[in-house]
Amino acid sequence: METVSEMPNSKIISAGGPKANKLKSTKFGGKLVSEYWESVFRAKEAGKKVVWYNGTYIPPFFHAHDLVWVHGEAWAAMLAARHREIGAQARGEQYGYDRELCSYARTHIGQMLIELDRVRSGDHGMDPDDPRLETMLKLPAPDMIVNAYPYCSSGQQWDDITYRNFGKKVPMFTIQIPLLWGGRPDAGYMQGEEWEQRSKYVAEQLLELTRFLAEHTGRKYDYDRLGETMTYVKKAAELRLEAMDMCQVHPSPASFFDWIVSIAPVNFLPGDQNLVTYFEGVKAEIAERVKAGQGAVPNEKYRLFFDGMMNWNKVGWLAEKFAAVDACVVAGRYTHMSFWQEPQLIDLGDPILGMAQNYLICPNNHGAPIMIGEIEKLCDKFDIDGVVCHASRTCRGMTNSQFLIADSAKKYGRQSMFFEGDVADESFYKDELLNIRLEAMIESMDAKRRAA
Amino acid sequence: MQQIPDQMRQAADAPLDYAAAWKARTGRPVIGLLPMNFPGELAHAAGCLPTLLQEDDEPITIGQSNMFNFYCGYNRSIVDQTMRGRFDGLDAIMFGDHCVQLLGTADIIRAEKPDLPILFNQLCTVLDAGWAMRETRGTFSQIWKELEALTGEAIDPAAAAQSIRLFNRNRAQIRALYDLRRRGEVSISGRDMQAVVKSSMVMDKDEHVSLMDLLLRDMPRQAPGSGDLPIYLSGHMCHAPKPEIIDLIEECGIRIVNDDLFTGWRFVHADMDESLAPVEAMASWYIEKNRSLPCPTRAIKGKDWQDYLLVELENSGALGLVVLMVKFCEPHMYFYPEIKAAFDEKAIPHLLIETEHEQMPLEALKTRVETFAEIVRRRATALAA
Ligand code: SF4
Ligand code: SF4
Repeated sequence: METVSEMPNSKIISAGGPKANKLKSTKFGGKLVSEYWESVFRAKEAGKKVVWYNGTYIPPFFHAHDLVWVHGEAWAAMLAARHREIGAQARGEQYGYDRELCSYARTHIGQMLIELDRVRSGDHGMDPDDPRLETMLKLPAPDMIVNAYPYCSSGQQWDDITYRNFGKKVPMFTIQIPLLWGGRPDAGYMQGEEWEQRSKYVAEQLLELTRFLAEHTGRKYDYDRLGETMTYVKKAAELRLEAMDMCQVHPSPASFFDWIVSIAPVNFLPGDQNLVTYFEGVKAEIAERVKAGQGAVPNEKYRLFFDGMMNWNKVGWLAEKFAAVDACVVAGRYTHMSFWQEPQLIDLGDPILGMAQNYLICPNNHGAPIMIGEIEKLCDKFDIDGVVCHASRTCRGMTNSQFLIADSAKKYGRQSMFFEGDVADESFYKDELLNIRLEAMIESMDAKRRAA
Repeated sequence: MQQIPDQMRQAADAPLDYAAAWKARTGRPVIGLLPMNFPGELAHAAGCLPTLLQEDDEPITIGQSNMFNFYCGYNRSIVDQTMRGRFDGLDAIMFGDHCVQLLGTADIIRAEKPDLPILFNQLCTVLDAGWAMRETRGTFSQIWKELEALTGEAIDPAAAAQSIRLFNRNRAQIRALYDLRRRGEVSISGRDMQAVVKSSMVMDKDEHVSLMDLLLRDMPRQAPGSGDLPIYLSGHMCHAPKPEIIDLIEECGIRIVNDDLFTGWRFVHADMDESLAPVEAMASWYIEKNRSLPCPTRAIKGKDWQDYLLVELENSGALGLVVLMVKFCEPHMYFYPEIKAAFDEKAIPHLLIETEHEQMPLEALKTRVETFAEIVRRRATALAA
């Protein structure tokens, strides 16, 4: 859904035409995403109740209860990827939201304010040719709000604001997904007393969520349907991980940017056969590429790991940026350590505990030692030369441990670099800085190879 | 009388030196607390000195290699102090808060000081959830156990009850001072009021209680009424505003009659119920205090911060509101627009001052505060007419 924008002053991007060899199979995802948004826009006509939610991948709970769901982050990311975020952010700023505040939240809340303005005035008051209008007039208002944001306090507060902006009348349910600090002696990745306690705590809240949904729809919650939905999700998650594993070969058949494009399906699309078909397609294409020795970056010379939140205004742009210097960003924290990362935990007969555990292991939600240990495992697995940290200005949730991550990379003989940008506010992106630092990192990687 | 605030200020300005001297004297552990919701009572009951870690005045230097400059000054200062070895005398750090920046700071401290135990147990952030009390009870019980393991001694529930009584007494003393100030019966500068609260965060409780007794006894009383403009000070999460900013506000003919600052009323407004078992008392204190004075880092549906402020302004006779917002403080940034809208709607003058760890351009700020004071003055005249 993203395009490569014009950026005349870039040095790297102008070095020859597009080089990133994107997976073709992900196009099906674009179609599914469009269909999903269409179904969202038609929700009220179809007589469906709408849940707005933020945070982790809880849509199976909504899907199983025949609701329509709007993921605030996805909405903000979609606006940013289509370069439609600016109006929303401006409305947020006009109301008083400081631009240092999470830009995902600002975009979503700003958009909400625009819509509320329209409802209040009975008129959108905009030029009919205003390109913002198309998306703005469609998003249905919530019948319920659910928040389930691991780790980041901003994520929780964001929905508090949504709740307030809708006059505190829309029923809201907040799930706390507490940090796994990992300070007790038996702590480890998915182990120890804290892990066991927190898993049960989140599972209990999820069960409570089903009661909340039943109460506010007047319908009994269908747990069998939840199991059925999770059958597809679990299958898709397994396929995704298998396909990711196939990228250990050189050149890597898919890049981090292909996995970024694949987040929407696994994150918030309905758990049905389409989801499985999507990842079957991705896996099949990757298998073909492996056989043909075809890479996501044709002349792959360097293999990188991307740390940090995605810069949604720049997905295609960044894919080209790295490809232009023959660097394949093979894996990332956002893509490879989240989104049903441990599907084996899900017992399809009784999926809630396993779902809770998958929500808990969102990569931000581990204390740094365990989280960085997992990053190192990935870097070893994918034979990574360097780590690129996106210092996303307004997302402290993902920048928190980045200096420690960069230190760890160096400790294990990998290069590391930072570049400045943001999740959805383009004004924080510094192209020149990225160019300079990327060039410097490439030089260091070359020097290291020469020395070897 | 001025001697007492000055003595308090000494501890407040150099809390780690105070803690080191206390430790040398008593041979007992010192526990650093991170704000804003962790009670010192438990550490006190375990025979430790709880000290709420404060921002210091040093410029951020080596801390920059571990934390981005788009984090609030409090976090950057804590990281910088960690790297300068300022916390080396601590025996542990305890906290349970939720602010995402603070979580990052804790991880940096752990990486820099691997031998310093960090007892982190996250408090329930959804205060009106059905499970909030149960979870909070569990969190404090867990901390109780971890503190016992740290000191190697059992915490006697009777000692915890005694600590609760002592801390309640200290809070009540400070509230009494707030009442006197609000009624205009004492004249205490904003700077001194900050020293009173800040020192209570870091000093030995018995010592602070004794000083407060003296202060309340000896402070000269005056007849209510002063020519200065009464205003209410709000915000400033997690740490104290710089005294120069408070001075500057007062120099513009403004009298601070009340506040909800963290280093202020927010820290002392709620007591623990002495009739309850200690863990129960701490849990209900935590849940209830954030209901009675809304905190932007917690999710609750019932009460809004702006409604609280409107009522408090009325109660304290303040004619305007000054909001001190820590730069990059996300929880505050989320809620400020609603405060602004509510005060705009009621046409009550308000001024936002964004504070920074680094030097602030005080001259420009002074012009803004003077203009604000003029608006408040006109309102006072209009109300009097
Ligand atoms: S700051 Fe980052 S992690 Fe937190 S809500 Fe915003 S995008 Fe999510
Ligand atoms: S709540 Fe605000 S002041 Fe406190 S640590 Fe977080 S960002 Fe800083």
